[in-house]
Formats: sequence, C-alpha cells, structure tokens
Amino acid sequence: MAEAPQITTLLSNRDLDRLARLRLNAARRFTNRSRGEHLAAKGGTSTEFCDFRDYSPGDDVRFVDWNIFARIERAYVKQFHQEEEMHVAVLVDASNSMLFEGKFDLACRLAAALGVLGLRAQEKVSAGALGGAAQRLRPCTGRMSMGKLFVFLESLAPGGETPIEQGIEGFLRQHRGRGVAVVLSDFLSGGDLRRAFSQLHSAGLEVFAVQILGPGELAPDVTGDLRFVDCETHGHLDISSAGDLLGLYHEYRLAHEAELSALCQQRSGKFLSVSAAEPVEEIVFGTMRRKGWVV
Amino acid sequence: MPSFSALSAAWLFLLLIPLVVFYFLKLKRSRHTIPSLVLWRQVLADQRVNAPFQKFKRNLLLLLQILLLTLLVLAAMQPFLRREASRAERLPVLIDISASMAALDTPGGSSRLDAAKKRVREMIDTLPPDQDLALIAFAKSARRLTGFTNNQRELRLALDALAVEDVAGDLDEALRMAQALTRTVAFDKVLLLSDGNFPAKTNFELPFKIDFQRLADAGQNYGITAFNARRAPGGKWDVFVQLAASAEAETASVSVELEMDGRVIGSESVTVPKGGTPRLVFSVASDQPAQLRAHLTTTGFDSLAADNTASLTLSAARPLAVFCPPALPAYRHALESLDGLTVFPRDDLASPAAFDLVFAATVDDLARPARTRCTIGLVPEDLKTLISVKSENTSALDWRRESPLLQHVQLGDVVFMDLPVAAADVKEEAFANLGYEILAQGPRGPLIVERTDGDALLIALLFHTDRSTLPYRVGFPIFVSNVVQAALKQSGLAEAAAARTGVLPPLTLAPGRAVHITGPGGFARDERTDDRGQLTGIPAPRAGDYTLTDGTATPRHIGASLLSPAETSLATVTQIEFADQLTVAATTAVPKADRSLWWLLACAGFVVLLVEWWWFQRRPGVA
Repeated sequence: MAEAPQITTLLSNRDLDRLARLRLNAARRFTNRSRGEHLAAKGGTSTEFCDFRDYSPGDDVRFVDWNIFARIERAYVKQFHQEEEMHVAVLVDASNSMLFEGKFDLACRLAAALGVLGLRAQEKVSAGALGGAAQRLRPCTGRMSMGKLFVFLESLAPGGETPIEQGIEGFLRQHRGRGVAVVLSDFLSGGDLRRAFSQLHSAGLEVFAVQILGPGELAPDVTGDLRFVDCETHGHLDISSAGDLLGLYHEYRLAHEAELSALCQQRSGKFLSVSAAEPVEEIVFGTMRRKGWVV
Repeated sequence: MPSFSALSAAWLFLLLIPLVVFYFLKLKRSRHTIPSLVLWRQVLADQRVNAPFQKFKRNLLLLLQILLLTLLVLAAMQPFLRREASRAERLPVLIDISASMAALDTPGGSSRLDAAKKRVREMIDTLPPDQDLALIAFAKSARRLTGFTNNQRELRLALDALAVEDVAGDLDEALRMAQALTRTVAFDKVLLLSDGNFPAKTNFELPFKIDFQRLADAGQNYGITAFNARRAPGGKWDVFVQLAASAEAETASVSVELEMDGRVIGSESVTVPKGGTPRLVFSVASDQPAQLRAHLTTTGFDSLAADNTASLTLSAARPLAVFCPPALPAYRHALESLDGLTVFPRDDLASPAAFDLVFAATVDDLARPARTRCTIGLVPEDLKTLISVKSENTSALDWRRESPLLQHVQLGDVVFMDLPVAAADVKEEAFANLGYEILAQGPRGPLIVERTDGDALLIALLFHTDRSTLPYRVGFPIFVSNVVQAALKQSGLAEAAAARTGVLPPLTLAPGRAVHITGPGGFARDERTDDRGQLTGIPAPRAGDYTLTDGTATPRHIGASLLSPAETSLATVTQIEFADQLTVAATTAVPKADRSLWWLLACAGFVVLLVEWWWFQRRPGVA
C-alpha cells in the first residue's frame, strides 16, 4: 500500500497524527468570548458541571436544581463550564541570530506543531515572524486551516536585525484576543524582555517561551584570541584566551535561562530551553509533555 | 649582587617597546561570527575576568615573551657574581717556568707548571669581556707571551705552548718586565704564579700590587748540584759530584753512575741524609779531551728529573803556553819558578800558533792570539778616551783583595811612577759600560782593570811594572802566579766545571763560520761566529747535550746541566720582602674566579620559550 504524501515538510504525517491526541495546557484561562472547545473559568453552557449559586430573579429556571430545592426549599442554580475559544499566537523569531545551526528550522517546526495543536483544539491560531520584515498569518481556526499555517511557516523568509522585543511590540499592535503566545527565539537580543513579556501578559496572552540555542552556543568550541562578530549588530568583541572563559560563559548562559524562566513564571507563563540539534518530536512528545506544556 | 660586564647591552631592553607594540598590533584575531555578543559581553564584564590575576592570565603569552626577552637581554649583559673584592681590568700574569716548576707532586702526577697552567686556564675560561690578561713567563729571564688581550684563543695557545726551562728562576726579571709594561698600559695589580723557589728578598721597588699565589709543594727530590774536575798528577782528573736533596726529602740511598764518552767508568752509592749535601769523588785517568756524564738514580720517588744528570767536558792534558817577551825579565823570572807551563819565546821550541797567556808590553805582543792577555803599561784602545797616563809618582788607594788576581797581593807600599788619570767627569760606570772591572784604584784613575769577553780575559796594568816598585815586592810573583792560574782556568787545563743551563759557554771556532746548534727538546738554532771566531750567547734552556755543527767533519758536543742547589732544594718562600720594606705574603688557596651567570639566564630563557610554546599549543579549556 502506497504511503500517503507528506502534508508538510515541517512535520511528518505520523507526528501530525500524534498531535491530534494532544492539546495545549494553558495555566490561565485567557480565552476569547466566542464559543470554542476550550473551557472558560466562568459559567457556561456546556454539559460539564462547574458550581452552584443562589438563584436570582431572572435566572433561567431550567438550571434550578430542583432536588436541592425539594430538600431544603431554597433555590440554587447549577452552573456549567463554558467552552470558549482560546487564541494561540505563534511567534517565530526570524532574525539573523536564528540562522545559526538550524535554530530557525527548529523554531518553524515547533511553531507548526504547536499551531496544529491549537487548530485541532478548535482554537484560533495566528502566527507571526519577528525580527525582520512583518510577516503575519491572520487568525484562523479549524483543522482546515492547517494548510494555511504550514504554507505560512514554510514560506517564512528568515533574516533581519530587529530585536525580538520590538517584534513582539509590533505584533501586539495588530493582535486581538486572549490566549497563549508561543514565542520561539534564542532570546539573545540583549533588549528588555521584561517589558515585552509584560506587554504579552497585559494583552491577555500567556507566555510560552521556547529558547532555542545551537550546539555552538550550548558548548562553544572556541580557544585563543578571537574577535567575535555579532551577526545582527555587526559589533565585535575581542576575546583573549577564550578557552579560559568558557566556564564563565556557561554560568551566564544558565543565569540568562533562569532569568527568562523567572520572567515567564512571574507572568504565569512557561519557559523551555532546547537545543537546535534536538528532534522536534522529542521536544513536543517528550520534553513538553513531561513539563506539562501539552496534555 | 651580580655585576654586569657588558652593561652597554642594556639598550637591548628597548626591544621591549616594539615587542609590546607588535604583540598588540599583530593580534590578528580570527573573526568568529556568533548569533549574539550578549553573553560574551557579560562574561567580559565579570569582575573575575578583570581581576589582576585573570588579566595576567589572559596576557600570559605577552608576559612570557617579555620575560624571555628580558632574560636574553640580561644574558647579553654578561652578568657575573663577583667572587673577589676587587678585580683588575688589566692583569699581567707572571708564570714561573724555572726548573723547579717541573717537579711532580706524586709519582706520575702533575707538575707545578701544570697546576699553574690549570689555574690560568680557569681564569681564561671565565675571563669577562672587560678584563684583559697579559701572560709573562719567567725563569732566568722573562718574556712576554701575549700582550693585554681578551682573546681567549690567543691566551690558550700561548699557555699551551709554555714549557719549563731547566734554569734557575729570577723574580726580578719578571717584575722588571711587568714594570716595563706599566709604561705603555696602566695597571695596578700583578698575579704571580710560582712555587716560591726564589730569594725571599729583592731590591725591586714595587710600583704595583702583587697577588702571589704559591703553588702546592712538590714531592721529594734528589739531584746533582755541582759537577767539576781538577787536574791531578799523573794525567788524571779528580772529578767531584755534589749531591743534594730537597728540604722535605727523607734520608735515601742514591746511586751515581759516571760515564766517560758513553762508557761507564764508575758507580757509587751514597746515602743522602735529610738536609745533607754529600760529595762524591771519582778519579779519572784521561790526558785527552773527554766528555763525562754523571747520572743519579734513586729507588724512591724523585720529583725533578732535570737535576739528575750533569755533563762535563775535560780538556787534553798539556802545559800552559805562555808568551812573555824578553823585555819583561821580571815576569819571565817569576814564570820560570812555576810548574806546568812553557814560556815562549825560547830557542829550543817553536812558538805555537796560539797561546794560553800572553804578557804584552807592546802593541805587537798584544796582537798575538791568546785566551788570556796581560798588558803592562798599555792603555787598551777602547779606554784611551777615558784614561791618559802621566809620569808622576803615585800609590794605590784601594784594590779588590778578594779578586783571584790580587789575592795575597799587597799594593799598599808600592810606588807607581805612572799615574793613570781618568778624563774629567768619567766615573766608574763608564768603565763598567765597556765591560771593564776596576781591580785597583789610584788617586786619579784606575791602576788595574780586567775585562772578560767571551772566553777571552784581558788584564790591563795601566802602569808599567818596570816603573814601579812592584817587581821588588813579595806580591809580584804571587800576582804572576795568580795570572797564570787565571789563564789555566780560562784554558780549562787545570780544572773543568760543568756548563750550566741558561747560556752555553763561549766557544772559539773559525771566524765567520755558520753554526747549527741542536739541543734537547727540539732545540735548534743557527748562528754565525764573529770575526774572532767567538760564538757567544747561545741559549740553553734545557739540560742535556747540545751539538754544534760548523761544517767540519766532527761536530762539537757541549753538555748543559742544571746544577742549581736552589732549584734542587725545591725550597719555597712564603713571603717576599721588597726594597721598600713591603712584604707580600703568598696565598696557596685557589682564587675564586668570577662566576658567569649568562648561561643560567640563557637556560632560563630556553625554559620560558618551552613554556610559551606549550601555552600557545595547549588544548583549549584545559586550564
């Protein structure tokens, strides 16, 4: 039996099938008012019981719990979870720094996987590229939009020198809707990420930050006297005896990760640092499941 | 504290400037494009990176290069540790090469000259660039081996060519040579390397300091210190051999073997007591010329070989040929009473071609060939500008009573009617400069003078004895006898003494003849006899036989022997007293040469170079 053609170059068909059994696990209930498959915190019209409250005049008597009324002669209204639509914004850093060691490629694959999770859960999914020219996928929903998502991600043109915090700010000017903002970047812009994350949080987006670092950033193989050149700013930095400084480099890299993680947690978000050499299925079905990103 | 002998090389430290400049300019760091400089900027901003040690660590390569250059420049500055309180920039080194310097310390050991050479060689090996040495060797005379030089090769070559001369040492000669050097080059110190076998007192006035380094004592020595013969009745010679031992030598039995023309004619063993000088007598029958050789052997250790052999030449036995003109009857009368001589002219015997002694009252008589001449009333040609003779009565003021010619001759009551008058402003030095020795002095000039020229002896009586009361005095026949004895000695008919090393005795050969002389130790020399056939001043630095070839069929052999009691005794002095009451004590400790440190710095530089190479090539991130 002939094998079905690949739907996208970003994810294998098998991974797409496996993604159907997962959904994003947002800690907060930033959702849109429109109805969806995502359970809202407030009472809704789903069949899933949520709570009781005192009856108030005007309430729909169909939701009065008559069994309780018969026992204690007081009217209580049953409340149910409301299934509302959640907005999943997938932001991919497409700046020059992401061109190293397959970071941008992994970012696109993860964006596709997380976007598929949203579409399959009937969430509203939008996507945008940060760092360069404004590229944006308008919000879409439904499984039929997966094609649009894949085409958008596959056609993303990397390259740019705009810091990620400016890219986030630009994205939020056009964004409407509450939900989750998945930010895929190396977060090495040096700018004020605190402000960017706060803006996301204020916009009702729970920050899911994924830091993607290349193997050369996780374990640099440098020695002697070097001149480091920033690929984005083209600034340079002269380093003597670089091999001796690797220990300090790792200290600061881990500190940077810890800082990013703290920024996310303080805004009820999540943070994950992965290697660009790590397979996408390992990250999604392994690391993210273990860390509760997807359920 | 180390000193630097090439301080001018310190300008090389200026190379540190281009080194540092080029280090930073040459840092063509390889460009390494990275996603972001954020983390690396944070790393560089870290206090730990900017700590002094970390800064040092980051520039360790530069520091190693600076250290390497510093070490090399310091090495080029020729540092040394001064081991002496003071060090002369120019140092003449007087090396004793007299016979005693050949004495060995132990059987088969090294000689004292070897020890001296070793010390000088160490000095040459550690010679700093700012010090010049001049090597002067001295024995009986001194000679400069090198001028003041820092050339180690030249100094080593001169030192290696140095050999012992079998002659007695004369320290004054060496000091005079050093004093002569001060006229051209200034220095204030002289190094004297000797065994101390010279007189403890000298009349030399020191114009410089002396560092007298006395070499270690040698072993015991036995040797021959005198070897001579005296004619005995019956055509025989009594041969005397004097033996001696060094001061430290124990009583030992030695054997002396006597050879005549290569044939052993006698042997005798004798015990040489400590400090004793036994004398052996051999009776040798010979009326023909012969060559005697005495050889000493001992069963024990004998440190010096040069004094174990002595040579002696015996002349043929014949009567002394004396010419005395009939015009001098008093002399002829006195001569007739003496034995062993033939007085010419005589009727029954023709006069020989040459005489042993000529009494001359005229210039014609003076022209007769003879080894010994005695002029009466004649002023020698070379003295005529100094002396004139007047007819005036006079008497002798003083005379040398110890002279063999005037021994037992009283001149005090003799009246001379000839008055030799020295020219104005002529002093005794003027006679000495012409080789004359004044034997008797009158009120205005000398009365009797004597001159030895090679093997010729001239006795000049500046007054005529016929115009004096001398022939009527008891001393006259004694004087004639003394003259005859002098002639006998001069002709070698009455006694013979072994020739000593240093200079060969004067020889009479054919006039103007080229003579080739060979001797021990590869000695070779070409000379030419003067117009009188005299050959004088032939050096004989080594003991042994010297052969003279003048083109005739039979070469002549002359033996030169050390025969120096001082050298045989190996006596040493521990201090030298100079004329200005200055005393210089000898030191036996080996002087400490300045220790050069350049090689240590060069080695350290090499180690630093290796460390730098390792640091440059080491694996990243190991440290």
